[in-house]
Amino acid sequence: MRRFGLICLGALATCLGLWMAAGGLSDPHAVDLSNRLAHPTASNLLGTDHLGRDLATRVVLGAMPSLMAIALVLAGGIGLGVTAGAVIALAPPALRDAVAWLAETVLAVPTLVTALVLSAIFGAGVWTVAIALIVTTWAPYAITIAALFDRIRGEDYWRASEAMGASLPFSVRLHMLPNAWPAIGALAGADAGRAVVLVASLGFIGLSADTGRPEWGAMIYEYRTFLFTEPRLVLAPVFACAAVTTLLHLLLDNRSDTNRGF
Amino acid sequence: MTTAAQTLGRLALSWLAVTAAAFVLLRLMPGDPVEIFLDHLSVRSTPETIAAYRQEWGLDGPLVGQFIRWLSGFLSFDWGVSFETGRSVAEDFQARLPYSAGIGFGGMALALVCGYGFGFFSALHPGGWADMASRALAVAGQALPAFAVGLILLWVLGVQLRWINAFGGGPVERILLPMLLVAVFSVGSMARITRAGFLEVKTSPYYRTALAKGRSRTGALWHHGRQAGALTLIAGLAPELAWIVGGTAVAEIVFGVPGVSERVVQAVNHRDYAVLQPYIALVALWVAVVLQAARVLRHALDPRLT
Repeated sequence: MRRFGLICLGALATCLGLWMAAGGLSDPHAVDLSNRLAHPTASNLLGTDHLGRDLATRVVLGAMPSLMAIALVLAGGIGLGVTAGAVIALAPPALRDAVAWLAETVLAVPTLVTALVLSAIFGAGVWTVAIALIVTTWAPYAITIAALFDRIRGEDYWRASEAMGASLPFSVRLHMLPNAWPAIGALAGADAGRAVVLVASLGFIGLSADTGRPEWGAMIYEYRTFLFTEPRLVLAPVFACAAVTTLLHLLLDNRSDTNRGF
Repeated sequence: MTTAAQTLGRLALSWLAVTAAAFVLLRLMPGDPVEIFLDHLSVRSTPETIAAYRQEWGLDGPLVGQFIRWLSGFLSFDWGVSFETGRSVAEDFQARLPYSAGIGFGGMALALVCGYGFGFFSALHPGGWADMASRALAVAGQALPAFAVGLILLWVLGVQLRWINAFGGGPVERILLPMLLVAVFSVGSMARITRAGFLEVKTSPYYRTALAKGRSRTGALWHHGRQAGALTLIAGLAPELAWIVGGTAVAEIVFGVPGVSERVVQAVNHRDYAVLQPYIALVALWVAVVLQAARVLRHALDPRLT
């Protein structure tokens, strides 16, 4: 699956590179009213929108907010989750129970509602989306990591490293994380996808940072009135969004489906 | 009796904690709603007017006092007036809540039933059509944005096939389609969770014994596995619950349903926390009730659980 994902990523990068080298990328704000709603041509691969802006350029540049959110979410969510997992596994009971309770509660917190509340407080934007996602996504990591810790603490190599006087961070890095990566990767694949979807969803309900800048959700919202006449305007960002999330799944989820049963 | 009291206590406690946290968080919002409101009216605001509005909206005094006043108001269905429109929030919600509750509750029920069924059949025949379908649904549910799928659904059903009157306001467009959208995005992962529970039964000695005694595979798996399947599904409900709430909001906006979420999005833009606060309280209540109900149900299904 991962190899397939890498091949797809390579193909996508090559196509994008060739397209950019051929001068495909133009100004996403260049309004050309004489060329409104033009059908796809060689110079406008996906045609133009209702203001004559190049759709292909806008779709490609629309990836930026999503990629930014992914980076923030993965760094923040995994960092917080692994730390909380270690706390649940290793801290004194009072603290452990509190963090474990918090993790289980957070599982049921709706991300979209959190994002809504945070946009009301801090204003909409990529950072708001990232914080909303971090706040609601660390819990599965914490629970997974804590369970893993419990298992590994019984293993000989862990006790041996303890007996040799290795420090905790060192042992965690050497013995814990290699075991944790497959599980973390699977969660991260889903979370990265969710970050893309949430950025787009917030953009769609009108809470994107800057409506002028291309962003998939905001584009879909802006073009939704053309859904019935020029569906290409809506479908292009939708497919871009779906393609990126699927690709992320393929790349990060390297857990093969082993439990096929009998 | 004690367990019932404990459950209720836990429910009340978690609800209070979330509501209080949201209350404090919302008060951190930059910008004073009174000033925003008066600016909007372009009225020259004297300190007296501001103080009067503060008192009317319950924004004066220390935070704890504000919260207690708000809480007692909320519990007696006096939810205050919207800062933006000046109308009663409780009345506004009363008209909108049936839509949101119908979509959310119906969507969840549908997803649970279908997810359980799909999970059973995909565990019965791994690699069969139900297994493939549920896996595809699970991946699609994570990869595709719900609003986009809703829009495409509108386009296909409303424009290509002309089966529905998009935004026509009939029960199909306002309840059934949003409900389906919420359910479809949840069925896949629910089926995968249930499937894991059933598969575990398939590896157990009692299942093999049942087969050896001559029961059919379907009969044996259903008879010995339905409880385990239900238990795993209920145990994995929390993240699905979070989706149901968010998904209801998305579905309402896509299909133009005059539900609660639509009003809330408006309120976010106007920093109208008279509307946001009861919304958060209601969402927290719904999540807490379902989680506690799931807990009780798990205990009923498996008394060994602590």
